[in-house]
Amino acid sequence: MEAHAASVVHPSGTEILATARVDERRVAWLYVCTGLTVFGAMGLAGIAMRLNQAEVITLSDSWFYRLLTLHGAGMLVAALLVSMGALWFVLRTTVPLHLGRMLFSYAAIVSGAVLVVIATLLGGYASAWTFLWPLPFDSFDAWRPWSTDVFLVGNLLVGAGFFVYCLDLLMQTCATYGGLQRALGISYLRDRDDSPPPPAVLAAMVVAIEGLMAGAAGTTIIVALIGHAIDSGLTMDALWAKNLTYFFGHSAFNLTIYLSAGAVYVLLPGYTGRPWKTTKPIVVAWLFTLVFVATAYSHHLYMDFVQPEWAAGFSSIASFGAALPPAVVTIFTGVVLIWGSRYRWTLASALLYLGFMGWAIGGTGAVIDSLIPINFKFHNTLWVTAHFHTYLLMAVILWAFALFVRMLEESAGRTARDGVSAFSLGALLVGGYGLVGVWFVSGTLGIPRRWAIHPENTAGYSLVASIFAIVFAIGFLVMLLECLRLARIASVQRWDRIPAPSSSLPTRADPEPLLSSGFQFAAVCAATVVFIGAYAPPITDAVESNVRYHHLQHGAMYLVGLLVGVAFASLPSVFARIRSHPNLGITLVIAGPVVMMLGMVPSIYESLESNAGLHLLYHVGMAALGVVTGLAAGTLGLVTGRLVFVLSIGMALMYAAGVTGG
Amino acid sequence: MLEFGQPQVTIAIVFGVLALAIAVLALVIATHAKEDIPYEDVSRKGYRFRRPWLAFLTALLVLTVGTSFLLLPYASGGRPATVVKVSGGQFYWTIDPAVLPAHEKIAFDVTSVDVNHGFGVYDPDGRLIGSVQAMPGYVNDLRLTFDKVGEYRIRCFEYCGLSHHNMIASFRVEEGRE
Repeated sequence: MEAHAASVVHPSGTEILATARVDERRVAWLYVCTGLTVFGAMGLAGIAMRLNQAEVITLSDSWFYRLLTLHGAGMLVAALLVSMGALWFVLRTTVPLHLGRMLFSYAAIVSGAVLVVIATLLGGYASAWTFLWPLPFDSFDAWRPWSTDVFLVGNLLVGAGFFVYCLDLLMQTCATYGGLQRALGISYLRDRDDSPPPPAVLAAMVVAIEGLMAGAAGTTIIVALIGHAIDSGLTMDALWAKNLTYFFGHSAFNLTIYLSAGAVYVLLPGYTGRPWKTTKPIVVAWLFTLVFVATAYSHHLYMDFVQPEWAAGFSSIASFGAALPPAVVTIFTGVVLIWGSRYRWTLASALLYLGFMGWAIGGTGAVIDSLIPINFKFHNTLWVTAHFHTYLLMAVILWAFALFVRMLEESAGRTARDGVSAFSLGALLVGGYGLVGVWFVSGTLGIPRRWAIHPENTAGYSLVASIFAIVFAIGFLVMLLECLRLARIASVQRWDRIPAPSSSLPTRADPEPLLSSGFQFAAVCAATVVFIGAYAPPITDAVESNVRYHHLQHGAMYLVGLLVGVAFASLPSVFARIRSHPNLGITLVIAGPVVMMLGMVPSIYESLESNAGLHLLYHVGMAALGVVTGLAAGTLGLVTGRLVFVLSIGMALMYAAGVTGG
Repeated sequence: MLEFGQPQVTIAIVFGVLALAIAVLALVIATHAKEDIPYEDVSRKGYRFRRPWLAFLTALLVLTVGTSFLLLPYASGGRPATVVKVSGGQFYWTIDPAVLPAHEKIAFDVTSVDVNHGFGVYDPDGRLIGSVQAMPGYVNDLRLTFDKVGEYRIRCFEYCGLSHHNMIASFRVEEGRE
């Protein structure tokens, strides 16, 4: 059956390419194509693991667990790339996001992924993506020590790429909408603003803030691990390490669904002909999401009984609560927009629609597991694997495909063929839900996750799951082939069938200094004096006997520098000089804390402590690093600069709190 | 041999019903998506459900999370008479003592000598009772009461290296010691 040659969207809908400039189109292709390629490759690794568990093929333990590690880290890269690209694409029509930074993020993430591949496939690295301390360094000689370093640096690069993306999102969005309160919709909520930002902007703001916090936590733990690689005398608290690892990892995976949801706000109206407007419930929903996503990660530590009970309790409320905004607002509004809209069914719009279902079902499985007594029965069983695969596979990836297919359909001027679409969708649905369904059953049976060889008499479940995974892969492949067909049609008809607008980017306000009032300057000066107090002789004597206090004192010197840097950056004459160098600022706010933490590796500072002059120089150097970071934060604008300032303090404190050796 | 645990089956059935309900709802919405109904009518009728829906979900949150706080698996009260020292290492468990009395509360002090492990306890029928993490530098206090006598299997519940899946041990539960 020949496809529709008419408009590929609703009669009242807008084609997304009609508003996308050349840069937006290229970036979307780059990110989504790379992300789906990585997804396909990691999917093959997943099928190989499933077949091994089914006892159909035999992988050595080493190869199984390196594939497991590669699959986890690689799928994070895939999900980040597709969802980051999708949100950037739809947001840039209203927010002047920086092209160079987006390309830097791509280069950093892809380079990081390459290092992960090298570490796992060549170096044998197999700690799982979670790299829980001290496993990366305690492999029982299973992997080469260099592979640990390469894996950690790879993760640091992926984190840096995402961090830069979030920095740019926050900087440009706040500058475009006039500050934090307007960009988050709080002014609108308080009736002080009658033109709220579109919903995609709210999603971007929440992702950016959460992403920066998660990035700071991830940087701290990864740098601490790299510190141990440099100097084995540096050790750390296992509970602290686990908290930071999961705050980073859980948030990064979780944010991919919110990045994707931001894109869906723009994609769906094309098929319903009804605009997705910002309302007060949407603003409230995203504000709750901001709080809940940041605090939910602790459910990964429910079975660490030494974790404070209040943390587990709050996490339980937050994990359940995080389901309310999508259930009551985003998915609910999506249904209202779709119902009776003469929904334009195409392959892309069906993928979009099914993504909502995947989000709802996966979220339900997650909410059930977020209750602590239930988690006691399911923790680290295949139930966990089931629920996160449901929303990643059947929501994030389907939505990425929706954008990919939509762009191809618009470029080709026709939709995918109905029969092929139905077949591939059917295969994706049967294969995807069959695969996760078997995991849910296996979790009910108590089969532990991350086992190369499952308990006796359970290989049959893996066999059934493998068949479903292959069915999903066939659906994926058929869809790709149809996409290639659409791409060929588009290339014959010329890709610029829908001419790219050459309009200039939206305007944004100039950045503001971090401190603007006499009171703020006074507060910073007072804080500087307090931190200098950390060097009073009695305190200095006391800290020598405790590594944590010792590191805290080093951190205090960094903080003194940070405060001085922020104050300097806010002086009108200095601010006028630095404000036009945000790229340098971004580089230094990332490098500053990393160098500060590496500078606290015992073998570096201990060799200096015997010489008074060098010791003094070390502390001055710490302060200088702080000054540089503070000045750099001053280039990022009021909101982003202040958040970076707080996160830099947080990294120094977190590091001092957790690093125990030396 | 593994068996389905009773609480797990109940929870899985609840989840299965909810997942099926979502799928059916998605089908119903899909069949109405093609209709032509003025948006004003849809939004007026649709959004009438939003407040009750929010109230229902909030009540569900308060009820389920609140109830779950009464059933926490965390240790409470004084230390039981029987304390078992459990230590995980790559790739073995030491459990001392390894023969335990039935029908009385037992404290497992679970720790690790190297990396993170997970102490997953299965009853003699192969049903998962629950798990706790074994973490270097910390002791997790797990309290359990066993009503069945027989051999309880331990499986590692936190990835710990290439022989993670071989990290299996057991202890016995016998009738009272008197």
